[in-house]
Amino acid sequence: MSEAPELKTTLSISGASCQGCAKKIRNALEPLTGDTGLVEVDMEEQTVALPDGINAAEAARIVTETGYPAEPIEAGANEGGSCCASEKQTSCCSKKSEDQSSGASEEESETESRPGSEPSTASGGGQVALSVSGATCASCVNTIEKALMSVPGVTHAHMNLADNTATASGDADPDALVEAVESAGYGASVIEDEDEADDRKQEEDKKQYKTLLVKMAVSLSLGLAVMIWGMGFDTMMVTETNQVTWINLGILTLSVMIATGGHFYIGAWKAFRHHNANMDTLIALGTGTAWLYSIVVAGFPGALPEMARHVYFEASAMIIGLINLGQALELRAKGKTSEAVRRLLDLRAKTARVIRDGQEQDIPVEEVQKGDHIRVRPGEKLPVDGVIAEGSTRIDESMLTGEPMPVSKGEGDDVSAGTLNTHGSIIYEATRVGSDTALAQIIKLVKKAQGSKPAIGKLADKISSVFVPSVMLIAIVAALIWYNVGPEPAVVHMMVAATTVLIIACPCALGLATPMSVMVGVGKAAEYGALIRQGDALQTAGKLDLVILDKTGTITEGHPAVTRVHAADDNEQRLLALAAGLEQHSEHPLAEAILTRAEQDEVTAEKVTGFEALNGKGVQGEFDGQPVRLGNRRWLEAEGLSVDNLTDAANGITEEAGTPLFLALGNEVLGVIGVADAIKTDSKAAIERLHHAGIRVMMVTGDVDATAKAIASKAGIDDYRAEVLPEDKAEVVSEMRGKGYTVAMVGDGINDAPALAAADVGFAIGTGTDVAIESAAITLMRGSLHGVPDAIEISRATVKNIHQNLFGAFIYNSLGIPVAAGLLYPFWGILMSPILAGAAMSLSSVTVVSNANRLRLFQTSHKPHADEQKE
Amino acid sequence: MQDLMVNIGGIVLMGAVVWWFWLSGSDSKSADHQHHH
Repeated sequence: MSEAPELKTTLSISGASCQGCAKKIRNALEPLTGDTGLVEVDMEEQTVALPDGINAAEAARIVTETGYPAEPIEAGANEGGSCCASEKQTSCCSKKSEDQSSGASEEESETESRPGSEPSTASGGGQVALSVSGATCASCVNTIEKALMSVPGVTHAHMNLADNTATASGDADPDALVEAVESAGYGASVIEDEDEADDRKQEEDKKQYKTLLVKMAVSLSLGLAVMIWGMGFDTMMVTETNQVTWINLGILTLSVMIATGGHFYIGAWKAFRHHNANMDTLIALGTGTAWLYSIVVAGFPGALPEMARHVYFEASAMIIGLINLGQALELRAKGKTSEAVRRLLDLRAKTARVIRDGQEQDIPVEEVQKGDHIRVRPGEKLPVDGVIAEGSTRIDESMLTGEPMPVSKGEGDDVSAGTLNTHGSIIYEATRVGSDTALAQIIKLVKKAQGSKPAIGKLADKISSVFVPSVMLIAIVAALIWYNVGPEPAVVHMMVAATTVLIIACPCALGLATPMSVMVGVGKAAEYGALIRQGDALQTAGKLDLVILDKTGTITEGHPAVTRVHAADDNEQRLLALAAGLEQHSEHPLAEAILTRAEQDEVTAEKVTGFEALNGKGVQGEFDGQPVRLGNRRWLEAEGLSVDNLTDAANGITEEAGTPLFLALGNEVLGVIGVADAIKTDSKAAIERLHHAGIRVMMVTGDVDATAKAIASKAGIDDYRAEVLPEDKAEVVSEMRGKGYTVAMVGDGINDAPALAAADVGFAIGTGTDVAIESAAITLMRGSLHGVPDAIEISRATVKNIHQNLFGAFIYNSLGIPVAAGLLYPFWGILMSPILAGAAMSLSSVTVVSNANRLRLFQTSHKPHADEQKE
Repeated sequence: MQDLMVNIGGIVLMGAVVWWFWLSGSDSKSADHQHHH
């Protein structure tokens, strides 16, 4: 993994609200920094971090010209973190801004000062998240998005039906956003604190679930009672004797309809006022028509022919009951889909044991500050990100990376919040706290991706925005046809057909089809350590037919390791001890490999003096008064030493893409050590899985042809490109795309960023830098290549699930509506009852949600860690 | 006469639906989400 130089927050910007903006800014600053990887855009804080020594004024000018007003942050204003960078923000500087009369409105400072809260004004291109209630279908999504877009300053609005949240980007007042959503007929509140919002939502859902069940019981009981009375003891036809009873039952039905289905009528009315129509509209019109017709029959039976004096009070009550039941079931199933995020949220520790002024004290995790020293004992969770200052341990990171084995960590190693200390007691220094921790970023990323719509879902939205009014037209046409050409009693048939059409048409299945599957799919991928940034990536990843792999760090470990130690006299320990003795003076990566191996084999390095490194040859020194040399064959032969007896061993090393290093003591060559960037143990298996999935695998590397060839054949790669400069990798990607492939690029760091961005889907492998994560569509938390086939398999399963859902919703409506309109009547005399339509409608959305939930059981073809996942 | 009234009523209703939901979206801003780039 390449190490990024330290970046310093330099500019405050406004208007950057998405990854596209960040990319634009990075590209614009490239001439100044020389590498897009050296620019970090923080959209939360609206700041840009650049390497030291970059002219801030010049950078600000460039960014402003790109379309994002920017200004340099004065030195000192930024101490203690990147906040207080500009007046418009942020959460941790409210105290300062009060003192400095920063110009931010009082209202703003008040919202911003809440600890742990997201900046809640959308000023300067921020985002406001709203929790929305009452949205049930795709039409609601449209209505809400339209309402948010109508608020001045909003540049982009998005409603996620799967978790009932809406986000508005741009420069708008949160109160105005809430008002807009409320006046469109829905409930809304600003999400200040994500945790609190999650807890509250769970509580509300539970309450709503119970309420819906009670309402369902009341309306279904009444409907059934009326039906039993009408059919069993009297007749559903109004006669002179039962007229008063029917009028009374009609009034009773109306009160139950209002009590148990009032929310449908209110929702329908509010939507109507805004020239919108949604599922509520259909229910209100359907049940309303049935009730109105029945009350007319009961009140004025004489106005209608005798055959038409049929009442449908029971239908109105039962439809409302069935739809309430459907919504209750849907609510419960929806709760399960967000389990992945909840599991991540549960990883967070509640308290931290910090050492302040030599005293250990337990404090809430929100109060931990950067620089605090924290003690973690075995069995405890790490509260924030940091660097180990004292002690060593093994840490279980499976919850973040999916890697099942605990990782050994010692002083100076990075540790992450949410991981589990399994072994020793450590003290570590907090480096990232609150919403900056890797865990918090992951949660945010997953949530955002879960809410995003792939292209296929946008199509469904488009259809459903015209769906409800179209259904209303179909109902009227059906009614007129029944009236004009239908058999007697024409009025009854007309009313039944119209009501049934209105009730059976269900935009909810259409609206839920995509978001439900995306939510489960993205969560599933997160379980496997693959973070998917957008729903689009999910869709494209399912279509990939070529995967291009970077070599170093992706297929291989990324650092050289000793692959073979061959001593001429079989004394390998001595060979290694001498080599280590020489190399302990060197900082070359090859030296590190030899020292690591010596340490692993518990070999003590010999004391070598007079160390000297000879460029292009090797290293030499003195041991026991004799010269000791470690280097390439050419050099030793030039010195008059023969290495012929080691030719076989050396060839073996070369064939494995390694470099042979010969060691000579005095005039005797003692042996050869092979050093290579070893292929990760599971790379070959992962590549085989890709082949199995019908995907071609290609490797790009800067290595010479011979090494590339050796690695490619060893790892089972179909094709390779050797001697490719880092900046040319993107060209290879574009070239392959030009040939018609849908290309994934898998890389591990800043160097690969352009290629990752050029590919249809970019995979950043390893616990990548922020830059790599930003340029990649999918980030693999584990270092293993298995993450690629995992993500592809999950994507394929998710897209398949979406197709099933959309197909189901489409078939349901295209069959249901004509049948409800009475298409089967001329052939078999079948006219569907409105009650059956109500049941079918509920069933359709429950089916979609259940099918999406089925995805939760999906397992990839490689699952060593699946059963080791911690709850 | 009654037939005529019902048919005219139906057609007027259809016209009203089209007008209200498609043609007269007074306060519903264009659905084209103007993303700023």
